[in-house]
Amino acid sequence: MPEAKFKCLRCGHEYTGSYTPGTPQELTCPKCRSNSVRRLPEKKPAQKD
Amino acid sequence: MTDEMKKPDDLRIGVFVCDCGLNIAGTVDCRAVAEYAETLDDVVAVVRNKYTCADPGQNEIKRAIEEHNLNRVVVASCTPKIHEPTFRNCVAEAGLNPYLFEMVNIREHCSWVHQREKEKATEKAKDLIRSGVARARFLEPQIEEEVPVTKAALVIGGGIAGIQAALDLADAGHKVYLVEKEPSIGGIMAAIDKTYPTMDCSI
Amino acid sequence: MMDVGRHPNITLYSYSEVDALTGFVGNFHITIRRKARYVVESECTACNDCVEVCPVVVPDEYQQGFSSRKAIYIPFPQAVPSAYVLNMEECLGNNPIACGKCAEACEKKCIDYDMQDELINIEVGVVIVATGMEVYDPTELDEFGYTRHENVVTSMEFERLICAGGPTEGHFLRPTDRETPKTIGFIQCVGSRSENRGNPYCSNICCMNTVKDTLLLRDHYPDIEAKVFYIDIRAFGKGFEDLYKRSREGGVKYIRGIPGEIEENPETKNLLLTVENTTTGQLEKHELQMVVLSLGLVPRHDGDLLKRFLTLSNTVDGFLMECHPKLKPVDAPTRGVFFAGCVEAPKDIKDSVTQAGAAAARASILLNAGKVKVEAITSRIIEEKCNYCGICARVCPYHAIMEPDRKAKKAPVVIQAACAGCGTCAAECPQDAIEMRHYRDEQYLAQIEALMAERPHEHIVTFACNWCSYPGGDDAGTARLQYPTSCRLIRTMCSGRVDEDFVMHAFRLGAPIVLVSGCHFSDCHYIDAVQWTQKRVERMWNKLERLGIRPERLQLDWISAADGQKFARVMRELEEMLKTVTMEEIKHTMEVLSNGKAEKKATAAKKAKVKKKTPTKKAKVE
Ligand code: SF4
Ligand SMILES: [Zn+2]
Repeated sequence: MPEAKFKCLRCGHEYTGSYTPGTPQELTCPKCRSNSVRRLPEKKPAQKD
Repeated sequence: MTDEMKKPDDLRIGVFVCDCGLNIAGTVDCRAVAEYAETLDDVVAVVRNKYTCADPGQNEIKRAIEEHNLNRVVVASCTPKIHEPTFRNCVAEAGLNPYLFEMVNIREHCSWVHQREKEKATEKAKDLIRSGVARARFLEPQIEEEVPVTKAALVIGGGIAGIQAALDLADAGHKVYLVEKEPSIGGIMAAIDKTYPTMDCSI
Repeated sequence: MMDVGRHPNITLYSYSEVDALTGFVGNFHITIRRKARYVVESECTACNDCVEVCPVVVPDEYQQGFSSRKAIYIPFPQAVPSAYVLNMEECLGNNPIACGKCAEACEKKCIDYDMQDELINIEVGVVIVATGMEVYDPTELDEFGYTRHENVVTSMEFERLICAGGPTEGHFLRPTDRETPKTIGFIQCVGSRSENRGNPYCSNICCMNTVKDTLLLRDHYPDIEAKVFYIDIRAFGKGFEDLYKRSREGGVKYIRGIPGEIEENPETKNLLLTVENTTTGQLEKHELQMVVLSLGLVPRHDGDLLKRFLTLSNTVDGFLMECHPKLKPVDAPTRGVFFAGCVEAPKDIKDSVTQAGAAAARASILLNAGKVKVEAITSRIIEEKCNYCGICARVCPYHAIMEPDRKAKKAPVVIQAACAGCGTCAAECPQDAIEMRHYRDEQYLAQIEALMAERPHEHIVTFACNWCSYPGGDDAGTARLQYPTSCRLIRTMCSGRVDEDFVMHAFRLGAPIVLVSGCHFSDCHYIDAVQWTQKRVERMWNKLERLGIRPERLQLDWISAADGQKFARVMRELEEMLKTVTMEEIKHTMEVLSNGKAEKKATAAKKAKVKKKTPTKKAKVE
């Protein structure tokens, strides 16, 4: 499973974690438990869907 | 997007504001809310009720539909999860298509959660009713489709529960297919010696 | 059990599984796989001739491995159907050179080594799910030494040891020396009521099962001294307290406390239990000749396929979720599907029978009516707008949309009865060519405009789904949890209905913050429609960023129907965020979004990328 950077859009917490490409997952911020967690786009302007 | 919006022109909306005893009226100024509702476009009748869901409240709705020739009904009261079916039936009994009814929740989502902020809760109730009325303008009558039911049942699992369900349905005269994974029905129960509370044999 | 085999209205498919299930209320199509039994069921008279000659001896599952059976066998004497089954994996070989003894012995010639699985198609109007549960496997609880200490047995094994039809023919013996034990201990809540290992819930039946076991012992072996180690005894049913009293009066010792460890005396094979008696606060040691682990119940491990077929979900404990825990406990959320027995939650025989009767009655209502009404909230294709992209057909969790045909210019077709009305297709359609009956785009846009008509910058526009987050808000209300008044809520059937247009429109009209909320992935009432919510929100975050709008202003939360706490907490947190959004920021957003050009540019940039990616994307979805 590839790794990516995640950012919580509620508390601002950033962390790295793994994800399964193509299958959306429920994400929960480890710090504030919000689900407003965004997988940050990678360096190269890659597009995620 | 907005310019595409089309609404019927002969709108006659009735708004029913519920006190729910003190559940709503204890926090929200229902009189002010009702007066505000009267100022909204297309609203031709506003009625305030102590308990809209009770028979007298429902009768008020029916009467108003007739008296004011209403073609949309908005009830501002509790959560639609409880009384949406009640009020849909109510307007249907008055001859209106049940889909011309809309519900606004000013109890669970307003009075009960803002008990210490009466003014702001009242403002919120007004906003929510404005939104409900806006939605009601675009309601259309709907006809619920009917689909036939094949007269047979499938019971998956032949333990005690599956066996009982299959027998009951079969005794009621229905065709039943009972599917069991193992070579025999009986499930876990068949492996138990004596069962409580009767302390007798399980099979 | 016998009655099932005989009833003229029941067709029994034993040794069979549901291979496929499609359709919807009133019209389910099912394929049943009848596994090859290698014995002609209708011919077999259970004469035992084949069993006698079979040379293969394996442990008997029914007797919990305490005795053995042959490769051809009948699961237990009273089995229905009363027919043998041949386990091909254990059989020596299906040609006469290898073995073939049973076929030779069978007078009626009903053994057929070449038998194949058979597929049967049936049509039904209703489905009752009664797939039951499993028993907890205690091997992970190392302190009890199950499998290490032979005289530690499970409650299921106890049943066989005490049963007249069991391996010991009703003589209650302990495994090591085949002697009747003089002392026995029962440990309660094994695998239940534990946060760390096993399950947090109470398994409902184990207390009373142990009470019953102690009474059985007292009746047949009054000399055995029995001790029960428990957290608390739950004897809440009719007549239960009485049984419990009889057990106590019969001399059974009830000790409040669960042993921390069981050691085995290597010579006597007796067991030494160390337990903190929580009534006295003393650390105690008990030497016992045998110990029974009172096992909890767990959800079936093999239920996933059926869940997918019937679009069911579970509650946190892993058992199937009912339509309403109080008012519709027997109905599944999927119409025409009902639950009976432990598949819904652990329960005893009486409750299983009660629920089965209720399920049968509920199912009869539909069968007797002969027709059902479908709520008029389904989707409709506006053919003039459709450009045959087929996205709707791909996103529909119910496969309720038949693919369009681009060449023939044939728009997709919605199978009305299969559509559940989640609205995902309407939200995903790039042409706005899908309309949800009763929940049209115009209605949502009008609601947003109405909410934003006054003091828009003070309000959090909240989209909440009908099944989880909206009732989650209700739950906060019922519990009188107080939260700031800024929330302005709009109900959607599913969070999958929340169109990008709705969110952008709210921002365009001055909303500082927009919240999209729905069911947790595992609770989604439309199979997996929430995954489209997640994808769409991610897409919108990217778009907002491209437009120079802080993505933080679009928030996402999954709130379950029982989680009013979370609903209120989210509202408080968003109130804090609201304070960070400045008037300039809002004005800028309103300008950017009203100026069609900027938005179009952002969309165009995205489209160009999507276009390039389309082939791979398509491949992934299929
Ligand atoms: S509304 Fe949902 S269930 Fe109905 S057709 Fe669209 S995607 Fe399928
Ligand atoms: Zn966070």
